[in-house]
Amino acid sequence: MSIDLIVNGLQQGFILAIIAYGIMIPFRFLDFADLTADGAYPLGGAVCAVCMLTGMHHITVVAIPASMVGAGIMGICTALIHLKLRVNSMLAGIILSTMAYSVNLRVMGKPNIALFDCGGLFQESIGHNILIIAAILAVCVIPFAVFLRTDFGLRFRAVGMNPNLAKQQKISIEKYTIFGLFVSGTMFGLAGSLIVQLQNYMDVGIGVGILIHGLASLMIGEVMVGNATLSQQLVAPLLGALVYQQAQGIALSFGLAPSDLKFFTGSVVLLVTALPKNRILKRA
Amino acid sequence: MLSLNNVTKSFSGVFEPVLKGINLSLKEGEFCTVVGANGSGKSTLLKIISGEYFADSGEIRRNGEVAQVVQDVNKGTIPAMTMLENIALSRMKTPRFAFYRRHATEAIANVRSLNIGLEKFIDQPLGILSGGQRQTVATLMALISGRKILLLDEHTSALDPKMQKELMEYTARSVRELQVTTLMITHNLEDAVKYGDRLIMMHKGRIVADIGGKEKSELKIQSLLEMFHRFENQSLMHEGGEKCPLT
Repeated sequence: MSIDLIVNGLQQGFILAIIAYGIMIPFRFLDFADLTADGAYPLGGAVCAVCMLTGMHHITVVAIPASMVGAGIMGICTALIHLKLRVNSMLAGIILSTMAYSVNLRVMGKPNIALFDCGGLFQESIGHNILIIAAILAVCVIPFAVFLRTDFGLRFRAVGMNPNLAKQQKISIEKYTIFGLFVSGTMFGLAGSLIVQLQNYMDVGIGVGILIHGLASLMIGEVMVGNATLSQQLVAPLLGALVYQQAQGIALSFGLAPSDLKFFTGSVVLLVTALPKNRILKRA
Repeated sequence: MLSLNNVTKSFSGVFEPVLKGINLSLKEGEFCTVVGANGSGKSTLLKIISGEYFADSGEIRRNGEVAQVVQDVNKGTIPAMTMLENIALSRMKTPRFAFYRRHATEAIANVRSLNIGLEKFIDQPLGILSGGQRQTVATLMALISGRKILLLDEHTSALDPKMQKELMEYTARSVRELQVTTLMITHNLEDAVKYGDRLIMMHKGRIVADIGGKEKSELKIQSLLEMFHRFENQSLMHEGGEKCPLT
């Protein structure tokens, strides 16, 4: 395995960590099975690509927040469909992701956009890029970790852990669910905008299977550090994403075709999901 | 502090009303135990007081917010959160952008007299404690929530006899000290006789006995048991809902 593969894995791993955090928030804190990632991630990318194409001078100032807000609104829509129309949370996510495909095409105007010479955050130096992505991740995660240790954060966590008790404590499950899915959506949007700037290319299909990559990262992280405490829950997505990307790199270096990566991902998710529960697998 | 005036409640598909013209008034700091057979309407009464159910007719007045401790400890606490976090959650009337640890620690310091002997577990997930210890924490959460009305729905019934006794002693001592108006459902007639200022017996949706004051302090478990069996055996005699004289 070459050093390039490791460094590239690190770069991709930090972006994947943002997605894993976006998946973790509704799953772990709201007990909400949110599948919006497949639609919100490319929406973030599409908004960013259009901003870049328009040649805005302060690309990061406008494109990244716009991508985050766009994808965040999609998260709010998923929450509202579930809360107001009483549609199952998973189904709401699937419906929204399907609809987002058309929205993304409308936003982009065509299925793919090349963004060379359009500026952006990243440079040729991969080390510089890793530092920028890590800094952005820290700017998102640290305030959220602080928020979780405040009164509001405690109430937010209570919503998913015991909705009955939350109601008794007069916590508005609706408001916190909408807020949580907005935050989760902004994470997907951020990741989408970063990947587009990194690749200098936006394709309407970039979101296909992204949920399963994020979920695999989260599961790996939780198997490694556990999820019993808040600190463990906050470390798991980052660690899991970095390990998962390196595992993909190892698989590629052993000659696995890139087209086989989705099969590899599915197998990893199955393994880490079954491992903590299955005695036979543990013994093996 | 708490009054119910002619409260009735029916459920669709059930022919007979679950509560039939309930009249009950509790003073501030009064500790009232509720006994009755399964299906007599005790839990429905508590759910109406807590606001979980709406009465079909009648009037309910609550001069204060209601805290509740239920039989299933998983419903009243969050096992994945630490003891401190659970307590912080129960104290939080108006959330702020401030760290919860500080005000939860202050709250615990303010209620040292309600010491439950579990302080060493303060930063441990509640899930590692035994059922009895968790129920004690759930009771502490309700007690220090600052709410003036406390509803206890068989909160000791899932515990072993020793833990039941300890938790009942703790509950009785604490509600007395904090002057919380308390309504406690129990199937343990011994507890019903021993604790509280007042005892009511429910039967088929009605209050059939209301014993307080000197009569309550002189009440013997044998008399209560006889009364309980008499209603069970002659349930049709009291369809009119008249109060049963204590014999």
